[in-house]
Amino acid sequence: MFGKLREKLKKFTQTVEEKIEEEEKVVEKKTPEETEEKKGFIERLLQVEIKEKDIEDALDELELELLEADVALETVEALREKIKEKLVGRKVRVGTNKGKIIEEALREAITEILTPEKRIDLIEMIKSKEEKPFVIAFVGFNGSGKTTTIAKLAHGLKKNGLSVVIAASDTFRAGAIEQLEEHAKRVGVKVIKHSYGADPAAVAYDAIQHAKARGIDVVLIDTAGRNELNRNLMDEMKKIARVTKPDLVIFVGDSLGGNSVVEQAKQFNEAVRIDGVILTKLDADARGGAALSISHAIGAPILFVGVGQGYDDLRPFDEKWFVERIFGEE
Amino acid sequence: KLGKALNSALKKLARSRTVDEATIKEVVRDIQRALIQADVNVRMVLQLTKTIEKRALEEEPPAGASKKEHIIQIVYEELTKFLGKEAKPLEIKEKPTILLTVGIQGSGKTTSVAKLARHLQKRGYKVGLVCSDTWRPGAYFQLKQLVEPLGIEVFGDPEEKDAVKLAREGVEYFKEKGVDVIIVDSAGRHKEESGLIEEMRQISEAIKPHEVILVIDGTIGQQAYNQALAFKEATPIGSIIVTKLDGSAKGGGALSAVAATGAPIKFIGVGERIDDLEAFDPKRFVSRLLGMGDI
Repeated sequence: MFGKLREKLKKFTQTVEEKIEEEEKVVEKKTPEETEEKKGFIERLLQVEIKEKDIEDALDELELELLEADVALETVEALREKIKEKLVGRKVRVGTNKGKIIEEALREAITEILTPEKRIDLIEMIKSKEEKPFVIAFVGFNGSGKTTTIAKLAHGLKKNGLSVVIAASDTFRAGAIEQLEEHAKRVGVKVIKHSYGADPAAVAYDAIQHAKARGIDVVLIDTAGRNELNRNLMDEMKKIARVTKPDLVIFVGDSLGGNSVVEQAKQFNEAVRIDGVILTKLDADARGGAALSISHAIGAPILFVGVGQGYDDLRPFDEKWFVERIFGEE
Repeated sequence: KLGKALNSALKKLARSRTVDEATIKEVVRDIQRALIQADVNVRMVLQLTKTIEKRALEEEPPAGASKKEHIIQIVYEELTKFLGKEAKPLEIKEKPTILLTVGIQGSGKTTSVAKLARHLQKRGYKVGLVCSDTWRPGAYFQLKQLVEPLGIEVFGDPEEKDAVKLAREGVEYFKEKGVDVIIVDSAGRHKEESGLIEEMRQISEAIKPHEVILVIDGTIGQQAYNQALAFKEATPIGSIIVTKLDGSAKGGGALSAVAATGAPIKFIGVGERIDDLEAFDPKRFVSRLLGMGDI
C-alpha cells in the first residue's frame, strides 16, 4: 500500500549516492604528488563530504514525490530540512555503502516526524483506569468514517474482553442513528440513543450513566461530522467534551484527504485537544502521506488505521510499522 | 495563509519597476505552491505553470494592463481551460430521465442525491429516488429522512442484498409511476474494491442511465485522478458534483477528476442542509483555488 512512496525514497537514495560517487572519482584522480605536502593525505583521500549541492536536486525531486503521496506542503518542508540537517557536512569514507547511510538518514527523518511526544496503549490505558467507564469521544469531518470506525473499535475491544456501550450523539445527520444501531446489533453492543435533534451532550451523558450503573468498561461517543470553519458545530463539540470529560478524544481523518486534512486536524485540536488519531480508507490505494502530515501538525499519535469495510479491518499503527512499510521489502 | 503569500508575491511584482525573468519565475513558484496546497494534482500543476511561465515571458501585456495583471490573467485563462468557461446545467430532456450517482465512501453521495432531488423539485419536476446501497447500514433511512418531508418518494429495501436488482426494480417502479426524473443512489466504493466496481458497472448496464454523476469530496488529495479514472473506466461519467466546499478545502482534487473523466462539474455542495447545493461557477472556483477573493 505504500509501494509508491517507497519507490520515491529509493530513488532519492540512488540519486544522492551517484552524486557522491562522482565526487569520489574526482578525489581518486588526484595524484599523491599534488597533495604530498599535506599530512595524512590518505585519510583525506578516503573521505568525501556530502555537500548541499549534492542533494539539492534530489531533494527537489523528492519534494514533488512526497507531495504526490499526499504529504502536506508544510510537512514536506519540515522533512526537507531534517534530511538536509542529517546529510549535509557528513563525511563518508570511500568504499562504504553510501546508499545505506542516506537511507538511514531518511528513515531517521521520517521516524522523527512520526514519533509522537506521547504514546498510547489503548487497551492498557483502559484497563488501568480505576473508575469505570473509560470514555472515548470521536470527532472529525463529514464522511471521514467515524461511525464505521466506532463499530470496528467496539468489535476490537470486545475481543479483548472489554464491555462497550455506544452513545449515538450524532443526532443531526439523517440515518446516523439507524446506521449505528445496525452496526451495534452486528457486533453485539448496546446503543444509547435519543431522537434526532436531541442534545448530543445529553445523549453522551446518559450513556456514561448507563455504563456506570452496569459496570461497563468503555463508552464510545459517536458525534456528527462537522466542518472546521463552522463555529456553532465546533462549539457543540466543545460542549460534548465539557459535559462528558472524555479520557480520550480521537480524531478520525480520511487518508484520501489532501492538505485540508491537516487544517482540519489543527482546528479540531484547538477546539478540543486531540489525544489520538485514526486514519481511515488506507486501503483505497492512499499513499499514506496523511499519516506523516497529521502527526507533524498536531503531535498526537496515530492509534489505528482503517483498511476496509469489515469489522476486523482496523489495525494498530506505530511509526516503526509505518517506516517498515515504506522501507522494508514488499 | 497561502492566498496571502501569493498576494504579497504579486504585490512585490507590482512594485518592481522592471519585470525580469527572475521575478516571473518567483511568481510562478508561488502560484505553484498555492495550487499544490489547494490539492491540485502535482503533475498538472507543473504542466500548467510551465505554460504560464512561457506565456508570461513571451507575451506582451495588452495595452493598459500591467505585467502583474497580465500574469494573473494568464493563470485564470489556463485554469479555466480545464474547467470549461461556462457553467453547464443538468439537462432533463426525456421522461423519465435516469441519473446514477457514484463515488468513494463518505464523499457525500446520499446527501447530494437528496439535494439534487430538491433542486429539481423546485424547478417543477416530479422526482423519484432509488436507494441501491446494500452495504452501508442506515443508507435507506438516511435518504428517506432527508426527502420524505418534501414529499419525495424513496424506493429501497434494507433487507435486500442484491444492489443490481434493487436499482432495476426501483427504476421500473418509478417508470410506472410516471415521474420526470429518477435518481439512483449507489454504495460508496473505491478503485481497489474490484468487486464493487464491477457491481457499479452492472447497475449502470441494468438501468441505462442518461447520465452518471461522480460525486467527489472537495477535500480529496492527490488520489483524485486515479480514483476518478477507475470510475470512468467502469461507467461513462457524464458530470461531477464536488462536495464539502464550505470548509477550508479548496477543491483542487476535483480539477484532477475533471481532467481524468473529461466530464464537467455541474454542482458544488456547500453545506449539510438540503438547500446547500449551488450551480458550478468556474470563475469563482478558480479564485478559490488560488486563495483569492472574487475578482
